[in-house]
Amino acid sequence: MKLAGLKSIENAHEDSVWAAAWVPATEDRPSLLLTGSLDETVKLWRADELDLVRTNTGHSLGVAAVAAHPSGIIAASSSLDSFVRVFDVDTNATIAVLESPPSEVWGMQFEPMGTVLAVAGGSSASVKLWDTASWRILSTLSIPRPEAPKPSDKTSSKKFVLSVAWSPNGKRLACGSMDGTICVFDVERSKLLHQLEGHNMPVRSLVFSPVDPRVLFSGSDDGHVNMHDAEGKTLVGSMSGHTSWVLSVDASPDGGAIATGSSDRTVRLWDLKMRAAVQTMSNHNDQVWSVAFRPPGGTGVRAGRLASVSDDKSVSLYDYS
Amino acid sequence: MASVYIPVQNSEEEVRVVLDQLPRDASDILDILKAEQAPLDLWLIIAREYFKQGKIDQFRQILEEGSSSDIDEYYADVKYERIAILNALGAYYSYLGKTETKHKEKEDFFIMATQYYNKASRIDMHEPTTWVGKGQLLLAKGEIDNAFQAFTIGLGNSDNVPALLGQASVEFYRGRFSESLQLYKRVLQVHPGCPAAVRLGIGLCRYKLGQLDKARQAFDRVLQANPDNVEALVALGIMDLQANDSLGMRRGMERMQQAFEIYPYCASALNYLANHFFFTGQHFLVEQLTETALAVSTHGPTKSHSFYNLARSYHSKGDYEKAGMYYMAAIKETNNKPQEFVFPYFGLGQVQLKLGELKGSVSNFEKVLEVYPDNCETLKALGHLYTQLGKTEKALEYMRKATKLDPRDAQAFVGLGELLISSDTGAALDAFKMARTLMKKGGQEVPIEVLNDIGALHFEKEEFESALDNFKEALGDGIWISFLDEKEKLEETGVSVQGYKDTGIFHRLIENGHSVDVPWNKVTTLFNMARLLEQLHKTETATFLYRLILFKYPGYIDAYLRLAASARAQNNLPLAIELVNEALKVDDKNPNALSLLGELELKNDDWVKAKETLRAANDATDGKDSYAILSLGNWNYFAAMRNEKRNPKLEATHLEKAKELYTKVLTQHSSNMYAANGSGIILAEKGQFDIAKDIFTQVQEAASGSVFLQMPDVWVNLAHVYFAQGNFALAVKMYQNCLRKFFYNTDSQILLYLARTHYEAEHWQECKKTLLRAIHLTPSNYTFRFDLGAVMQKSSSSTLQKKKRTADEVRSTVTEAENAVRVFTQLSAASDLHVHGFDSKKIQTHVQYCTHLLEGAKVHREAAEREELQNRQRLEVARQAALAEEARRKAEEHRKYQLEKRKQEDELRRLKQEEEKIQRIKEQWKSNTHGSHKRKERAEDDDGEGRPSERKRKKGGKRRKKDKSSRARHYEDDDEEAATMDEVEDEDANTNYNREEENQEAEEPVDDDDAHDLLAAAGLEDPDADDEVPASVARRRRALSSSDEEGELMEGHPNSSPQKENSPGRQEESNVEEEDDANLNDEE
Repeated sequence: MKLAGLKSIENAHEDSVWAAAWVPATEDRPSLLLTGSLDETVKLWRADELDLVRTNTGHSLGVAAVAAHPSGIIAASSSLDSFVRVFDVDTNATIAVLESPPSEVWGMQFEPMGTVLAVAGGSSASVKLWDTASWRILSTLSIPRPEAPKPSDKTSSKKFVLSVAWSPNGKRLACGSMDGTICVFDVERSKLLHQLEGHNMPVRSLVFSPVDPRVLFSGSDDGHVNMHDAEGKTLVGSMSGHTSWVLSVDASPDGGAIATGSSDRTVRLWDLKMRAAVQTMSNHNDQVWSVAFRPPGGTGVRAGRLASVSDDKSVSLYDYS
Repeated sequence: MASVYIPVQNSEEEVRVVLDQLPRDASDILDILKAEQAPLDLWLIIAREYFKQGKIDQFRQILEEGSSSDIDEYYADVKYERIAILNALGAYYSYLGKTETKHKEKEDFFIMATQYYNKASRIDMHEPTTWVGKGQLLLAKGEIDNAFQAFTIGLGNSDNVPALLGQASVEFYRGRFSESLQLYKRVLQVHPGCPAAVRLGIGLCRYKLGQLDKARQAFDRVLQANPDNVEALVALGIMDLQANDSLGMRRGMERMQQAFEIYPYCASALNYLANHFFFTGQHFLVEQLTETALAVSTHGPTKSHSFYNLARSYHSKGDYEKAGMYYMAAIKETNNKPQEFVFPYFGLGQVQLKLGELKGSVSNFEKVLEVYPDNCETLKALGHLYTQLGKTEKALEYMRKATKLDPRDAQAFVGLGELLISSDTGAALDAFKMARTLMKKGGQEVPIEVLNDIGALHFEKEEFESALDNFKEALGDGIWISFLDEKEKLEETGVSVQGYKDTGIFHRLIENGHSVDVPWNKVTTLFNMARLLEQLHKTETATFLYRLILFKYPGYIDAYLRLAASARAQNNLPLAIELVNEALKVDDKNPNALSLLGELELKNDDWVKAKETLRAANDATDGKDSYAILSLGNWNYFAAMRNEKRNPKLEATHLEKAKELYTKVLTQHSSNMYAANGSGIILAEKGQFDIAKDIFTQVQEAASGSVFLQMPDVWVNLAHVYFAQGNFALAVKMYQNCLRKFFYNTDSQILLYLARTHYEAEHWQECKKTLLRAIHLTPSNYTFRFDLGAVMQKSSSSTLQKKKRTADEVRSTVTEAENAVRVFTQLSAASDLHVHGFDSKKIQTHVQYCTHLLEGAKVHREAAEREELQNRQRLEVARQAALAEEARRKAEEHRKYQLEKRKQEDELRRLKQEEEKIQRIKEQWKSNTHGSHKRKERAEDDDGEGRPSERKRKKGGKRRKKDKSSRARHYEDDDEEAATMDEVEDEDANTNYNREEENQEAEEPVDDDDAHDLLAAAGLEDPDADDEVPASVARRRRALSSSDEEGELMEGHPNSSPQKENSPGRQEESNVEEEDDANLNDEE
């Protein structure tokens, strides 16, 4: 289990790069890397040389999240002005612009079948589910608000939904919030199943294990990566090592490892059998906002790839084996 | 059978008295002696016989009778015998006086002796024996010079042996050993068969003179003559013992034993025997022997030695009181002269050290040092003592000397290291390492304390790997190893802070065959190890170790506190408070626990509770704990800054109180950085920026270099001061460095400060970017969004206000205004959800204003675009003109060129013709063709002149173009200005608002409402209506009162005076670190 640096593009964007996602391969092209930045652009890159395919403009106030449809044909990007732009990957034609005021837009993820786009709704304390055919809201999954919020509490610990993750079978949806709680929903019944405890600081990133739909990984500002049993509501384990916030977590397609990106400027690879960090990449010199494993599939693409993006404006690609 | 015969008076008969059958009652003999008027020498013989048989009473009875006044009368002519009797009595009393220990009796005996000698002198002034006796008496009394005189008189011109011996002993006493030796030799010459005592004297003299072999010969001779001579035996024994080899020792001890068997009361022999038994550990014998020695000896040094032996015996048994007493007795016997016998001083020093009488101990060790300035043990002891007395400089000096004198003394290096810990960690580390190396070389086991200290020092220097290694070595084997090496899976055992009460994991470990023992001397190191793991962010392992400590030692408060700190780091305040309360169950007065609790309560917004807790912490330490005072100071500072209503009176009181508390700490510890930082804040708060800056700079310098001293606050404060002084560039740099250095760029509050600095410096784009970053970091903080809207609003309005701007600028301004509108609209929509505390009306005003601005901007944009179009057209015209010009120029050029060409051609033709002509002539005249070349050159010159003029013309054209365009823009501007400038200007004047809310000097958060009103006024587009002003004031009041009612609203001003607010908060964390630091070094 090893990461090896392949390519790094300095100044890939004009400003901090905040989001990254892989667009799955289609029949006529391999998978692409999608990145979003404070410079208000979304860029598409072709592995392994990280050739710039296109630069999409049109957002304002910085792109905070990007997501790709499992078909690889469409993708979505969202910015701090709370617009979600859905576009055709190959033509950059705008398919839809989503907005549901007053809800903000944070993390986004397409349902594994591709029929629904889940969007973390910030202070609305909810996750909006958009139908990917009609681009209308299918339903709103709300998380419970605390009974008596403290009047003096000025910032963080309100129910503010930051991150979302679909289970690989599409039956469960987890969302993480600023106060560290993680809510797990039964999507079919639009019902909150339970809250997972363990963090008390913002949970900025969530991912289900691709091989075990019960296992959910969460990265938090407390510097820990927690491993939950999403069905059994228990904390399975906790992994520490990052010296600052864990900003992003992604699971390798084989399910044997997870990668994390942190404010401590490092990317770490964790062996899930040993439950310990086996490698630390320190090629970035500022916060690593996102890490993403390339999904398997496409023509002749077997090799595992991991991408990381950072406040240092760079995009890095690693070989994962 | 020896007998004497007493002649019967007036007859030839004699009475035979068998000397060993003397009657028990001396009166019988006396009667006979008196009756028969026996010669006095017989009296003396009989008396002496009694003395020899130990019948002292009879001896005295006879002599006293023999010296009575009757006898004087009767034997008036028999001078010599009478003197002999008196002298015998004198000698007897001298002896009694000499051996008597009680002062008064001693005096009495000496007086008696003196009386007898004086009586003898009255009989015959010149009798030498009397003088010798007197000399002995004086010697016994210690009047050495008088004794010498007496002996000299007794000696006269003869070779009186006793007088000579007397003189010899006087010389010996005076320490003039060679003179003494001469005298002894003379005695031997005069009287070769003299008793062994003379040879003993010679031996002693030689010994003292260092002629050891000759001394040994002399003593051997004595023993040949008298094998039972104790003194010689002892002397030889001492010499053997001093030979310092095992053979000598054994022989010496044999001699001592022999001497003891012959005469059990020889003090020296007893002392040496005692010394021997001390080393063999037979303390009972030591005490018996020395007590006997003390009883029989009057000789100071010998007694001192005995006392010393006794003291040593008690010392080694741990009876320090008694040992101290005897050491003091030993010292007293040497007349407080350490030069003579220094050991008791050392012993006393040690005992006093044990008993805690440090000062006394120091003075005793210092005395040892006077005698032996290079004694390492003493140096080390003094080093430790001065450390305890707080005289670090002196302690260091001694320790350094000790290590220099013996560079292989590991203990000295350990001591040195311990001394240096507080002052110079690098040197301390070196010393400890040296000690470790020495111990390892010597095959010794390195004590856990040393390894712990080395580890802790590495830890402090951020050399975590080395620290880990040393802690591991110190801890040795134990349950922790399997966890450190990750052999055991923590996850499987389920360790978490939350489950701290669950001891199940340990029981399970025991069941699985693990030992969970933690020896008491390893707890501290284990704790340090856990701290290190925490630092390395191996939180789980650290948590496990803390819990292990608590499992074994439930009273280990620090472990609770670290667990609490760990919970706090993960923002789990209830758990943290619970853990601190556990700690307080162990000790409800523990200042550290109380302080931490206070801080947690503060974080939990329990203001009143926090204050009480901090007070309790302060009381628990009698106001001596800087941390508790500091916390109270911080509390007061927060209290001053916290109140939204900003009651100025209350604020001043709190500030004053805070200042007082900081100052108090500074008077206790002048180098307390946190207190200095606090004082700096107060000064800055009062506007004394220069002093504050100095303080902050100093603190910043002092805080660099240690892992335990993380003081980002001081960086922030310094940046604040730069900001307040208008030095924005430096402030920006300082904020950025601080963010990067301490927070991995994650602190949105500092980003807010940074944004504000950019704002004041009118760097709108940087400001906007900074705020976007802050929003991205802390999405739930709506202040950032509000500020973002405000910045974009300000930025667009200021662009519109600019005299010169391009259409692009105006276009981006429109986008900016649009974004501003969107941000404010969103805020306005979100305000219904009560997720932030902004007044919806206020936001609405912003929305309106921005919309208005947007409309204006659109107009501007259109105008700009129109202008741009016109410009473009004009440019086009100009371009075409230029093109025409160019064409014309080209035509001209071409024409000229043609002309030239034609000319040239003409010329050429002419030349050709001429050439031909010349050719012809040449042929005729055979001349050269130079002339034609010259002409060619001239033609080129003409060409060169033509170009510059063209260039000039080009330039002129350009200038004209520029003039035209700028004039056009001026014209346009004037137009626009006429239409909108007034309004824009007014707006701008009024938009000087919400950023002020962050400004520390800016009066109140009311500012915002103020701005709001003014904005409203601006929004009304009637800046000239004066009567509008009172109305807006009224509205402002209304806003104020409404803000009183709704606490919610106040959340809108979290930035009000953010300046230094949170800095002392962080300071506390660092302070906790400091405490831990103390903890680490607490190994002693």
